[in-house]
Amino acid sequence: MANPSENNPSGIPVRPHTYDGIQEYDNRLPNWWLFTLYITIAFSIVYWFYYHISGVGATDEEKLAVALQQVEEARKASAVGDLDDAKLWAMSRDDAVVAAGREVFETNCVACHLASLRGKEESPAAIGPSLVDSEWIHGGNPMDIRNTVSNGVLEKGMPAWGTVLGDQKVAEVVAYILSHHDAPAGN
Amino acid sequence: MSGQKVTIEFNDRIVRMFLIASIFWGAVGMLAGVFIAAQLNFHILNFDMPWLTFGRLRPLHTNASIFAFVGNMMFAGIYHSTQRLTKARLASDFLSNLHFWGWQLIIVAAAITLPLGFSRGKEYAELIWPINIAVALIWVVFAINFFWTLARRNEKSLYVAIWFYIATIITVAMLYIVNHLSIPTGLLHSYPIFGGVQDALVQWWYGHNAVAFFLTTPILGIMYYYLPKAVERPVYSYRLSVVHFWLLVFIYIWAGPHHLLHTALPDWLQSLGMLFSLMLWAPSWGGMLNGLLTLRGAWDKLRTEPEVKFFVAGVTFYGMATFEGPLLSIKSVNALSHYTDWTIGHVHGGSLGWNAFMAAGLFYWLAPRLWNTKLYSKAAANMHFWLGLFGILLYVASMWVSGPTQGLMLSATAENGTILKYPNFVETLTAIRPMMLTRVLGGALFLTGWFMLAWNIFMTIRSGRAVNGAMEVYQEAPAPAMGLKRTFIDAPFLYSAGIVVFGCAWAFGSDWVSVLSLILLVVVSISAFVHLQVSGASWGEWYEQLLENSLPFTLLVTIAVFVGGVVQIVPLVTVEQDQVVEDRIQIPYTPLELVGRDIYIREGCYNCHSQQIRPFVAEVMRYGDYSRLGESIYDHPYQWGSKRTGPDLARVGGKYNHAWHVRHLENPRSTSEGSNMPAYPWLLTDKAGIDDLPAKIRVQRILGVPYPEMSDEEIYAQYRQQAEKIAGELQGMDIYVEPDREIIALIAYLQGLGKKWEPYAPAAAQAAEKTEVVP
Repeated sequence: MANPSENNPSGIPVRPHTYDGIQEYDNRLPNWWLFTLYITIAFSIVYWFYYHISGVGATDEEKLAVALQQVEEARKASAVGDLDDAKLWAMSRDDAVVAAGREVFETNCVACHLASLRGKEESPAAIGPSLVDSEWIHGGNPMDIRNTVSNGVLEKGMPAWGTVLGDQKVAEVVAYILSHHDAPAGN
Repeated sequence: MSGQKVTIEFNDRIVRMFLIASIFWGAVGMLAGVFIAAQLNFHILNFDMPWLTFGRLRPLHTNASIFAFVGNMMFAGIYHSTQRLTKARLASDFLSNLHFWGWQLIIVAAAITLPLGFSRGKEYAELIWPINIAVALIWVVFAINFFWTLARRNEKSLYVAIWFYIATIITVAMLYIVNHLSIPTGLLHSYPIFGGVQDALVQWWYGHNAVAFFLTTPILGIMYYYLPKAVERPVYSYRLSVVHFWLLVFIYIWAGPHHLLHTALPDWLQSLGMLFSLMLWAPSWGGMLNGLLTLRGAWDKLRTEPEVKFFVAGVTFYGMATFEGPLLSIKSVNALSHYTDWTIGHVHGGSLGWNAFMAAGLFYWLAPRLWNTKLYSKAAANMHFWLGLFGILLYVASMWVSGPTQGLMLSATAENGTILKYPNFVETLTAIRPMMLTRVLGGALFLTGWFMLAWNIFMTIRSGRAVNGAMEVYQEAPAPAMGLKRTFIDAPFLYSAGIVVFGCAWAFGSDWVSVLSLILLVVVSISAFVHLQVSGASWGEWYEQLLENSLPFTLLVTIAVFVGGVVQIVPLVTVEQDQVVEDRIQIPYTPLELVGRDIYIREGCYNCHSQQIRPFVAEVMRYGDYSRLGESIYDHPYQWGSKRTGPDLARVGGKYNHAWHVRHLENPRSTSEGSNMPAYPWLLTDKAGIDDLPAKIRVQRILGVPYPEMSDEEIYAQYRQQAEKIAGELQGMDIYVEPDREIIALIAYLQGLGKKWEPYAPAAAQAAEKTEVVP
């Protein structure tokens, strides 16, 4: 290598020792590089103090408890008004509600109960029972159905959809199921 | 120069062998990568065959890429450069050959056992225990060969490349052995000695530092030799080499827990993982700076020499990856990125951009010299570069889109935050499908470039003849030995030790110990700084003497890499269980569930499913209550996972009925439309292997899992009873499966997930409650 010190902008000569022809300059550490190092160290000290010595910083679990509390309040605030069998029957005759319910059903329920709602009745390979026959395993009143959808029947493999779909969508999907049944007289 | 002048001929034959092996295994590893990426898009490519499913091939891809491809590349570069830097032929031809053939044999054994489903169930540590022992032995062969060569060197002073090689050899040996400690249950199966959170911590101490000391430090050493050689310029800064080397080897070891952020790992360990990752940013960039700034005055070579292109791009990708790494380690960023494709993109920025590009540069530079000819086609090498670069950019960019997209969708809520916006996991998978397809394209382009390299090197070899390098050297008397006193009783070491000791005492000490340590820490740091300004020259002399003494140097490297592991791992594996477990303790698996769990591990389910719910609202809504440390404390190995290509399974037990699981495992699309999961039809027909079940339970007992004393008959009776119960329940749903089939065991395991725990109050806490007096 021909006199590389000429090419070193900082004018620092190469170190005397060479390794298999490889030479080394001894340039200063770049300042911005040093600052980067120092800043990360300083940040680490402050962070550690904040979370692990002072006890001020909240843990993940504490933050989660607060957040879940807020969700609970929001859920109460936005709760669908009191439902009863009559209201659910009424919803099942409302085309807009039923259409919304069908959408929910087709996204979440068809895997087990099939698009026909007939489940095992249509195909023995299906996992869920039929929802259009007259047999109800967990109660056939609209509020019973809502309860089954919302809280699930874990031992039978029915998941709890209440926390997944929210009360509004649960009511809509129940309305959709009821729309396949005849409303009792008086509703 | 005194001493006798002799001519030595280098052992370049072994370098040629490793070079060819690396090119071959590189192609295999990358091909496997492109294939499994395609499987994620087209589930049909799993072919319903056990040994071709994603869960078994992904470990093949990672192990081949890391240990076969980069391993052989590293050995080629280290053996070639070390002979020249030490002016000595490799110490033993026998050991060199043993190293080469032993390593290839290990790779072949891995390539056979992984698709067959023999797995330890830990990422990048899947190989079964007999192979583990072979790896450790061959690594020791490598170490003896290397250090023996150092001992016979005719160049007193150790060049920076050698420092990195030393750190690599020592640290990989330490990491590999500790993370592979297991107790065999038979010839092909074992359980790791660590369980649950301990196993998670040890695994990522290993996993992260496999990246550090297998994929980074040896390649930095290679950069320090071949980059200055290729551009014929002096290295930018010796001082920077010294500072960034020591910071890197000391800090890297601490960063492992950043793979476990927001999990049940104790908070203090998570914070250490995050903070040391941040502090790693500058030391990593020190290497990048020394690489890139060495090009000053020689940037024109970038136009003419393809290997320089690869080196420069490689070092740049190294800089990018080592910036992205600390970024992803920040807890709030990690909350989004973890378990998503973002991590996959990050890894490939490093492995394709840094490792494979440095390998290409190395091979294009080495081959003509090893076969005494010219590179067959510079044009083809240039084309390889652009194909490769474009491939990486497509790959990384698509993962940058895909990871955050899926992460945001999974955490999105609706209706005032009361429900999930995308309750169906498959919706988020569907959203990133175009990105996953782009990834395949990027990988295929990169692979095409690699085939061009293979062809180019093959043609180069054909046009030349193998020659061994030679060098005339003066055999000199060895440098005066550096005693222990001179090594340790000197300013640089004492100050460093003081800062580490007082730093730890400040961080972990209580009350006055912490305050006093902080004061001492400040005092030591300031006096070290002042002392360096005043008598830096004497520090330099000490260091230069150290460079002439490989044994003290190696000792200091060992101490530097040892500290982080000791501080993080020892407390967690030695304390009593009561102090680790918070409020829940795991109930051991029944014999049937244990068999099911081993099937889960065999099929590599952990490659796509985590079992660790983080304490976030969206995760709690989607998967259930967040995971507690005690719930997996008896899991040998732990199965927390690192990626969610499918949903988390920590609490999947009871969520669906048995019938759903049978249908889903037989054909995932039948229950989850749009799923990309492979089908597992053989689980319904294959009998579960239970011959070694009593041996497995015995080993679990040795490991501390509280199984009652059971005779073999009792174990099998329990197994049959539970299996018949599940088969009976399935019959009630019109599904007929014999109780001895694998799927019955797997269903038993899955249905227990999230339910196998009981409330736990540590003995100490119970005692305190009893004695507490109400005023």
